[in-house]
Amino acid sequence: MPTNGDWAKAPGGPRASAWFSLFYSRTMATTVASVPSSFRRIFAWPRLRFTLIVSASFGFLTGLHSEAALPLDVLRALVLGCGILFIFGWLELWPRRLPRWLPRTVLRLIGIALAIPVVAAFAFGITGGGTGHDYGFLTVVALLFAPWIAIGTILRQRDAFAREQALEFDLQRSEFERRESDARLRLLQAQVEPHFLFNTLANVQALVDSGSPQASKVLTSLIAYLRAAVPRMHSQTTTLETEVELARAYLDLMQMRMPDRLQYAIHLDPAAARLHCPPMTLLTLVENAVRHGIDPSETGGRIDVDIWIRDDRCVMRVKDTGVGLKNVTRGLGTGLSTLRERLKLAFGAHAHFALTEIEPRGVCAEVSIPQREAAS
Amino acid sequence: MTVTALIADDEPLLREALVRLLAGAWPELEIVAQARNGREAIDQFEAHRPNVCFLDVQMPGKSGVEAAQHIGRRAHLVFVTAFDEYAVQAFAQGALDYLVKPVEPARLAETVLRLQERLRAAQPALDTEALLQQLARALLPNAPQTLRWLRASVGTTVRLISVQDIDFLRAEEKYTQIAWRDDTGEPREAVIRSALKELLPQLDAAQFAQVHRSVVVNLSAISHVTRGANETADIHLKGRQETLPVSRTYLHLFRQM
Repeated sequence: MPTNGDWAKAPGGPRASAWFSLFYSRTMATTVASVPSSFRRIFAWPRLRFTLIVSASFGFLTGLHSEAALPLDVLRALVLGCGILFIFGWLELWPRRLPRWLPRTVLRLIGIALAIPVVAAFAFGITGGGTGHDYGFLTVVALLFAPWIAIGTILRQRDAFAREQALEFDLQRSEFERRESDARLRLLQAQVEPHFLFNTLANVQALVDSGSPQASKVLTSLIAYLRAAVPRMHSQTTTLETEVELARAYLDLMQMRMPDRLQYAIHLDPAAARLHCPPMTLLTLVENAVRHGIDPSETGGRIDVDIWIRDDRCVMRVKDTGVGLKNVTRGLGTGLSTLRERLKLAFGAHAHFALTEIEPRGVCAEVSIPQREAAS
Repeated sequence: MTVTALIADDEPLLREALVRLLAGAWPELEIVAQARNGREAIDQFEAHRPNVCFLDVQMPGKSGVEAAQHIGRRAHLVFVTAFDEYAVQAFAQGALDYLVKPVEPARLAETVLRLQERLRAAQPALDTEALLQQLARALLPNAPQTLRWLRASVGTTVRLISVQDIDFLRAEEKYTQIAWRDDTGEPREAVIRSALKELLPQLDAAQFAQVHRSVVVNLSAISHVTRGANETADIHLKGRQETLPVSRTYLHLFRQM
């Protein structure tokens, strides 16, 4: 992330620049504005139309009191109005930087107040002059009303700006969320890690070769695990009982592979057995505990899985005594982030997920979801 | 002269399997030591000085590659790995001896033949230092990448906060204050013991923007931005009272028109 603030060239990739392109293109428009385009901006048609209508009305009203002909008064008022509009618009763009003590709004109002007598004199000059009474009257009327109209315009502009920006953020956010869900879908195609698969198969082969009676049991566990973990094979909903069986199959496999380093215990409250659970929830927690807690540790550790009902919510807790959060390694998070997303999709704000460190070492992961009977 | 060997693998069944396979492929080989991790492999190597070392690449604590770096050219090395594309590719390119789990007897026989030839010719072990260094770096777990979780103190507990739940981060001397949402969407605060400067490069640039010397904000937490007087602006966040300042340097991110 750049610190010089130059975001459009940031090494954030195309996504970053897409995100900012809206802001940036607008910025470019002001900073590199050439003179003609500044004029176009200052005399933008809606503004000009508004100014002409207001000026003409005022010209008409002052004309009722003036000593000159009515069209002349209207013309003078129109010239004055355009002059004020020019000052108003010009001071919005120039100077580009202002000292801290001088807000732009104040500058614009002062500019307008100072310009009115001058522009009014100019208006009288090009219309062949007039009486001092007419000049004074027009100037005073303009001084009385123009600043208020200017303030009104500035406030409206701010409002519109805030609204537009809120809308823009919403648009970008929804775009962002759409991309997020795309990414999530890809991640959802949970994969059996080849490293895990081949290592486990090597173990199975070792058991078979040595004629161990354990071989068949281990193969059963592997088949149970693969059935659930291979994408397109897992169903949309499962019961906690099924989830526990899956976690047990995985832990059995891992315990066969590292008998000296892994102990585990699973406790499932029978009352929770038939409850609904998004597939792979418990397994993700358990896999994470093995991969990032137990496996990196030379001495290994213990995993405790507890599932029970608390305040009408179903709580799944996986505690390990592995290396803890300090040794966060590559890949931590992919599984857990996906799980978090899945829970959010399924339960909105009603799913809770917390990861905490436990003393003296290890991690406690706790998921709680609303208690819901599984559809049978 | 009897040829001696060391086998290092953290999985006991696989150690036994390799011992059994070697007994068939190379009956004269004497396995003098077995190790369960890289550290033990190094200790056992120093204690027995075997001629050949079979090292599993992925072991807890010190990896097989790290153990190999320690052993250097003092023994002939054979790496053992379960499906690990990167490592296998590197081994093949570097002409290193390697076996892929589950080990096939035919492939093991080839490896044994090569080792026996080298031992007979009294060839020194391959110089693998440069390659191993490169491998060790590649297998290192802490390659810089986008952060997904932050370890933070919340009251007296330490927990992991998903970066997606963070509204903004504010530098406070050596610490960083984190404003985040808990599961129920309630705004909360936490402190983390890293400087904002160190965190910044690890955050996803598409999601987080620095808006002030000491403030980084999650763009999806912004509700709107109001322009203040004088080239400043304030960021209003969704569901939070406080506003965040945007300093001049970063104002162009939000400038309108």
